[in-house]
Amino acid sequence: MRILDINNTDQQLTLEAGQEEHFLLLDPQHVKLRIQQQEGSRLMLHCISLAPAESGTCELIVEQQAEGCETRLYGLALLKGEQKFDLVTRVLHNVGGGYSNQLFKFVLDDEAQGSFYGELKVLPDAQKTEAHQTNRNILLSRSAKIQTKPQLEIYADDVKCSHGATTGQLDSTALFYMQQRGISLASARRLLLAAFLGDVLQGLPEETTAQLEQQIDAAL
Amino acid sequence: MLEIKNLHASVGGKEILKGLDLRIGEGEIHALMGRNGAGKSTLSAILTGNPAYTVTEGTITFRGKDLLSMSPEDRAREGIFLSFQYPVEIPGVSMVNFMKTAVNEKRKYQGLEPLSASEFLKLKREKEALVEIGSKMQNRSVNEGFSGGEKKKNEVFQMAMLDPCLAILDETDSGLDVDALRIVAEGFNKIRKDKAAAEACGQPATSAIVITHYERLLEYIRPDFVHVLYNGKIVRTGDAQLARDIDEKGFDWIENEADNAGK
Ligand SMILES: Nc1ncnc2c1ncn2[C@@H]1O[C@H](COP(=O)(O)OP(=O)(O)O)[C@@H](O)[C@H]1O
Ligand SMILES: [Mg+2]
Repeated sequence: MRILDINNTDQQLTLEAGQEEHFLLLDPQHVKLRIQQQEGSRLMLHCISLAPAESGTCELIVEQQAEGCETRLYGLALLKGEQKFDLVTRVLHNVGGGYSNQLFKFVLDDEAQGSFYGELKVLPDAQKTEAHQTNRNILLSRSAKIQTKPQLEIYADDVKCSHGATTGQLDSTALFYMQQRGISLASARRLLLAAFLGDVLQGLPEETTAQLEQQIDAAL
Repeated sequence: MLEIKNLHASVGGKEILKGLDLRIGEGEIHALMGRNGAGKSTLSAILTGNPAYTVTEGTITFRGKDLLSMSPEDRAREGIFLSFQYPVEIPGVSMVNFMKTAVNEKRKYQGLEPLSASEFLKLKREKEALVEIGSKMQNRSVNEGFSGGEKKKNEVFQMAMLDPCLAILDETDSGLDVDALRIVAEGFNKIRKDKAAAEACGQPATSAIVITHYERLLEYIRPDFVHVLYNGKIVRTGDAQLARDIDEKGFDWIENEADNAGK
């Protein structure tokens, strides 16, 4: 795993045939990252925004340009106060036999505002593509806002694609159940949020996961 | 232990409890019966501080303290435990983490040091054995994918871990087959401290409110008093025989008498 320290920049990267890369993007501010994938390359990218600046944008563009590529994009953003964070993903399947999976979660408190725009394009030649996109968000206050806009353009017919977007609050029956066991409301909220965010950290090295979990817990 | 006076409570803008009085002494077992919708779960929600329910009138004193002014978590830490009629599934939160947090937050409230990982494990094993619950269940998320019976056993396990002085069993018997019912009821009987056990460890004897439709459970957990809830009030109180009569004759005769008395 490699930490990408690329704030306030546009960057372009290529994964050569068969190359495997795992990137971690921490608190991206104004980032535009374009990644081109060659045959059979495998990309995993985690985009974690825990202590963002007042406003941030992050645009992730991945193009599968040859067959048999794998793309996994995972991300989470915790926003509070008046923080703003806009996340854009554009995943393009140019050719067939590729796999992509996107999972992004936002937790917003106070007056925070976020947006997720997720473009997924499967071109006519990209038969036998499997592509998934999921965006789930939790609002902790009435004045926090999230806009979510999945944009799916599927031009091939022999494909397996799915997408889902949900925005909700913490489950009040679960919170009360925990309180009834003597767990404070604050701890109960933390437990639920950690559970909500847990799967975004899949694939990270154990040590990094433990560190991030601590940072998440402290940020909540 | 518990004294409820003239309790009026509503949910969703509808008044459900209309002047309920109930007094529960230390170590006493009270069965609460009544038709579906009579307000039994409403009473357990009020006692535990469920924010979806509102008290409009009345007082509740629990071990000398004003219960209604306490947060739900403090009521739990003071020793009130509800075995939920519908235990909640919490995906992603492991049973171990959940129980460890609950036990240690209660200990903190009592001014005790938190249990270490090994002390916790020891307590957990001891209680698992006591209530005959498999430790496999404990490696999963809270109640997630548990069968109805497993959920009810898990409630009793949690009760064992938290060692309450007032337990409310809200239809802990519903949906259980004969074996599961026996395990759950015997588990409860092992956990509860009778007067002698209580004196030995200097803690109060366990009191309980057992909400049930069936006399079956009360053959295992023998009540000192049986109450019938109707029209938002307790309209009749008796001993174990009352539960047997209800089992045989239903609620009609009690409700008719209550209606006539009210005319
Ligand atoms: N969240 C709620 N919103 C509105 N009405 C409710 C809610 N919960 C319970 N009720 C109503 O309150 C009454 C009492 O319910 P409950 O206390 O659950 O009865 P019981 O446990 O005796 O079967 C019922 O008429 C039920 O429909
Ligand atoms: Mg009920």
